[in-house]
Amino acid sequence: MAQTENQISQWIGLVFFRDLVNGLSLTLSYMFSKTITEQYPDKEKWVPFERYRGHHFLTTDENGDTNCVACELCAKICPCDCIEVVPYEDEKGNRRPLVFDIDMARCLFCGLCEDACPADAIKLGQHYEFSSESSEALIVGRDALMAAPQKASHGGKVFEARLTKTQGVQVQEIENGQTYDWWQRIRRR
Amino acid sequence: MAEVLVVVLMLVKMAVVVAVLLILPIPLTWIERKIAGHIQQRLGPMRVGWHGLLQPLADGLKLFTKEDHIPDEADRFLFTLAPVITLVATFAVFVALPIGEPVTIWGTEITLHLTDMNVALLYVLAIAGIDVFGVIVGGWASNSKYAVLGSLRTCAQLISYEIPMGFAVVGVVMLAQSMSLVTIVEAQADVWNVVYQPIGFLVFFIAGMAEAQRIPFDLPEAEGDLGAGYHTEYSGMRFSLFMISEYLIMVFLSALTVILFFGGWNPLFVPLPPMVWFLLKTSFFIWLFMWFRFTFPRYRYDQLMSIGWKVLLPLSLANILISGVFLSLP
Repeated sequence: MAQTENQISQWIGLVFFRDLVNGLSLTLSYMFSKTITEQYPDKEKWVPFERYRGHHFLTTDENGDTNCVACELCAKICPCDCIEVVPYEDEKGNRRPLVFDIDMARCLFCGLCEDACPADAIKLGQHYEFSSESSEALIVGRDALMAAPQKASHGGKVFEARLTKTQGVQVQEIENGQTYDWWQRIRRR
Repeated sequence: MAEVLVVVLMLVKMAVVVAVLLILPIPLTWIERKIAGHIQQRLGPMRVGWHGLLQPLADGLKLFTKEDHIPDEADRFLFTLAPVITLVATFAVFVALPIGEPVTIWGTEITLHLTDMNVALLYVLAIAGIDVFGVIVGGWASNSKYAVLGSLRTCAQLISYEIPMGFAVVGVVMLAQSMSLVTIVEAQADVWNVVYQPIGFLVFFIAGMAEAQRIPFDLPEAEGDLGAGYHTEYSGMRFSLFMISEYLIMVFLSALTVILFFGGWNPLFVPLPPMVWFLLKTSFFIWLFMWFRFTFPRYRYDQLMSIGWKVLLPLSLANILISGVFLSLP
């Protein structure tokens, strides 16, 4: 009895295209739901989470003096030999780096230098858009590292941004723009 | 003087029809890509112009500037002829399609079709069959294995689905007692034909999808499977001619479905001008074509042929039989 009922139901489904209608209703619901495209670089930009290992930066204390004491531990632990540190003695008698070059082309952004540093001087931030047109421009010096963007206060969200071509080509976040959590927007069944 | 006016009117209508048909694939490609994007939860073209509206122009520019490549061993005359055959047949079909009731501009009544033949339905189905020649000639002239195989499969598919398509409309002709498309629409003023002929509509629409080579019936031109079939060797402008004809056939089939089964320009509850109703219904069916394209996988070739011969043909014949029985009852 149940078998014939099942068979009848199968025949009705065949005649009225039940499986096709299932597929069509699914795509119809997708057609009218929000898209999940992140419109980079025209409207949005993804700021990674805090743990993201992006562009390096040297931390400074309140006076603007760098925390780095040029102990060269980062250079020694770097698996790619891309950090070059030359220490010197500054006016106040402290040991500071005269030369602190990181070759971004060789760096593999493992974060070992950040782990090895005893002074919490070198850290990796969330900046990831630094492609350049020459390899020489990718060797970042001490002053550039001190001026590099620090850890973002917000992270793990998509931000409103615009593509600007005024100072080179960059995608700049809009101040007090809208932000949303991309992962919550993905439709899951 | 009156004859001159008639001739001038006909020329103007011809020019309008040709211009509209040439321009029509441009927004259709945009709509198709946008619908494809939204079905797949993405946005489609967004960067070229506002929301990608200039994308078809960019595509057209790309196709214009592509190298016009004719294979070495190909038959040059037939190679150049094939897209022209397809396009001429596709344009010739639109001569008989009416899009609304006659309008009156400045005192003269203008009928919204180029001609009102009393065998318009037969003419339309017959001319649509000439497209097959373009396919055969294109595949043969390309002188390449994939092209020949693809064109043979396409040709078999097209001619075998023409038969159920022709039989499915016999019920409509029986209901309207005429093959003139204008008469068929006027006969649906009270009740649309889809109510009386649901099987006929289904058979016609499915066969129409196969005639237009839209998914789920587009194996012959599936790029992954057969290297694009009969238009493998075509590039640039010639390829775009094939694509234009494909979109126009889709428009033609939507329009024909509306005329034959969905009341043409007869309104449904809301009184709007007849031509507006016709355009709304046709665009609904165009949307339906595109929705189906991005939902279904494609049929294998033997499944395709068996559907045409073993399912649609008996259904259409049964439809004729049942319609005849019902119509002969008092």
